[in-house]
Amino acid sequence: MENLGTVLAVLGAAIAAVLSGLGSAKGVGLVGQAAAGVITEDPSKFGKVLILVILPGTQGLYGFLTAFLQLVQLNIIGGEYVPISLAKGLMYFGACMPIAIVGYFSAIAQAKAAAAGVNIVAKKPAESGKALTFAAMVETYAVLALLISILAMFSITGINL
Amino acid sequence: MAKLRMKRIEILALLEHSKDIIDLLQIKGTVELSERVECDAFEGLPTHPSVSFFEKYLNEAKSAYEVLSQYDDSKGSLLSALEGKRELTISEYIKKTENVDWILSRCAKVNALHKSIQEDKAALAQLESQTDLLLPWINLDISPLFKPNGQSRIFVGSLPLLYTEEELNEAIIGQIAEESFFDLHIISTIKEKTNIALITHSSVADDVLGALKALGFAKISDSIKGIPAEELAKVENDMSGLEKKIDEDTKELKSFTDCLEGIKFVIDYFTLRINKYENMEKLSVSNNALVISGFIPEKKSERLAKELEEKFSAIVSLNEPDEDDDVPVLLENRPFAAGVEGITEMYSLPGKEDYDPNPVMAFFYYALFGIMLSDAGYGLLMVISMLFVKFKYKLESNTKKTVDMFLYCGVSTLFWGAMFGSWFGDIVQVVGREFFGKDIPSLALWFEPVNDPMKMLLYSFLFGIMHLFLGLGIRFYTLWKNNQKLDAVLDVIPVYLLVTGVAPIGAGVVLDVPETISSIGKKLALAGAVLIILTSGRSAKNIIGKLGGGLYELYNTGAGYMGDILSYSRLLALGLSTGVVASVINLLGTMPSNKILKAIMLIFVFIFGQGVNLAINLIGAYVHTNRLFFVEFFSKFYEGGGRAFTPLKMNTSYFKIKEEK
Repeated sequence: MENLGTVLAVLGAAIAAVLSGLGSAKGVGLVGQAAAGVITEDPSKFGKVLILVILPGTQGLYGFLTAFLQLVQLNIIGGEYVPISLAKGLMYFGACMPIAIVGYFSAIAQAKAAAAGVNIVAKKPAESGKALTFAAMVETYAVLALLISILAMFSITGINL
Repeated sequence: MAKLRMKRIEILALLEHSKDIIDLLQIKGTVELSERVECDAFEGLPTHPSVSFFEKYLNEAKSAYEVLSQYDDSKGSLLSALEGKRELTISEYIKKTENVDWILSRCAKVNALHKSIQEDKAALAQLESQTDLLLPWINLDISPLFKPNGQSRIFVGSLPLLYTEEELNEAIIGQIAEESFFDLHIISTIKEKTNIALITHSSVADDVLGALKALGFAKISDSIKGIPAEELAKVENDMSGLEKKIDEDTKELKSFTDCLEGIKFVIDYFTLRINKYENMEKLSVSNNALVISGFIPEKKSERLAKELEEKFSAIVSLNEPDEDDDVPVLLENRPFAAGVEGITEMYSLPGKEDYDPNPVMAFFYYALFGIMLSDAGYGLLMVISMLFVKFKYKLESNTKKTVDMFLYCGVSTLFWGAMFGSWFGDIVQVVGREFFGKDIPSLALWFEPVNDPMKMLLYSFLFGIMHLFLGLGIRFYTLWKNNQKLDAVLDVIPVYLLVTGVAPIGAGVVLDVPETISSIGKKLALAGAVLIILTSGRSAKNIIGKLGGGLYELYNTGAGYMGDILSYSRLLALGLSTGVVASVINLLGTMPSNKILKAIMLIFVFIFGQGVNLAINLIGAYVHTNRLFFVEFFSKFYEGGGRAFTPLKMNTSYFKIKEEK
């Protein structure tokens, strides 16, 4: 049972990577469909829509980042493995939740804004910067969740339990 | 260096010079013509018919260009888009215009060929479906329409399900009561279908047909009229004929690809003429005079006026624009500030009351971008590639601005990457450790955010506060210059006090702030809050409204600025994400234990992984820096809503026509 803390912490890391990855995959796919429609009409807009397609992909990256940092903190990647207490493991688990959950939903919400932005690019290419801004607004909340996850994780490492 | 001062220009000239004057204005590209004002003595020039003619030609040339570039094998690389326009002198231009009619006839030919190829391809597809229809009947040696003599009848068609001849015979016989005479042939069995031909005596024909129908018999398609094998041969003959024709037409089309240069010229030529004629509608003419009015940047106005007066003995007057004129905006900045002009334009051009924000925002734009990307290796790559593009290609002014922007962003990224010790993540340490067995200490000139994210977070907020204060400072300056000195002081100073005061208290949550500083902070914050409550409701009429407005404004300011400052935490988040992912990529590359294998793996993973990471984070840094400016920074002072200066000019896409010296 001494490993249970670590098990929970790794589970948390996995959920962070899985959920935000799922959200991003869904999101990028959604915008990709909208973008493909534009490309059939005008292939020269590829560069402009590509940026919109990539945008909901960052959440997956944030989840990955959190999971990776967590595995490093747990000394599973690099370093000597030392089991952690159950309480600490639960804390690590909790620390992963913001980016896991917010990552999933914000990626999909951002994808919707970006897909609508693809329409802007199709009809008014000159305004594509504005389309980008709308989608980027959503990302703020993923960034905030990532911050809390990472800050919590670093702080938990410093606690003796 | 900022918004250029505009003058209103009025040109009065003889009608006979109208075309020459418009040509001159178009080449100079410095005058934006204003819409014609209705008046009795002067009329407009109806140029609409010519414009629609030109548009027809332009479309012809454009579609020919599109068709031909599909067949053009000598496609340039991606970078060739940067190469800029070919330069033509005016006499070269005039010489080339002689060819326009010939090129247009080529275009017509190209379009006709393209159309005929498309039609042939459609016909080919139709014939192909015809062969699909015929193939199952290839063994039928009579025409389905064949009428035998009065004694017998023939049914040709298909039944669902697969049958052998015996099964089918039994099935039919089972359906009819009395013994009947018929002769059944199975032509083919394909795709769960049995295709048959059946000859029967006419006296029992109806019974047999009824039996067949009960089995689901469907007559052969009406489109097969002759003997299938013969029909198929005919169709195949037609198809090969069409294919040959398509081949020949395609070959002929390809022979036109050397006209591409000429077609580009024709596209530019008609674009220019359309632009010119559309602008001629804005002229006012009488029987022998013409009036042009518009806007011109002040610094170019004197020279143009002089040239017009000398060449055409025109009368040119230059005036200050009226208070209610819709004066267009043209920005001019040094390259350092011009780089971010595109960002400002994306938001909105400066309005009447605004100053050009580019010179003050440029420094912060590059700095924030650098902190977000924050990898010296990536910065170095950006600087090198942008310098390469700058020296290799002759850039158009807008492309040049973007290249400059990324160049300065790259310099800043290099700087911050070095401060935070990130060179392609930790590649230096990884190579040292894995291949030379040496532990190389951190390269950070300042500190590594991964090791102390809290410190970096606080610094992010500090940068944010500085950024916001700069925005507020511009608001102060603008209001002060507009003689709203009281507003300037009361809108800005209390916010400065409040934020400066609250900042150390907020920082005290996570680190030890000296007692003296936090107590000063408390006093400043209190003073700011009181000032806001007392003064920001000053536009209300009665005392309760004033106080209420003040309290509401205090809440607004507090919540607003807190949200704004927290938003700068993205500096930490994006910076961390670049660095950590870059390090993970390096780690992946060092997985094999064999040193040679490790080196090969690392090289591949490094190039691919870092490339992808750079691309994703470049977009991230760009988007989020824009957001910090659009939402947090501009909201503090910027009105926007300016109209871009759109002069009559040589708006060509392929050639650049310049004046001869």
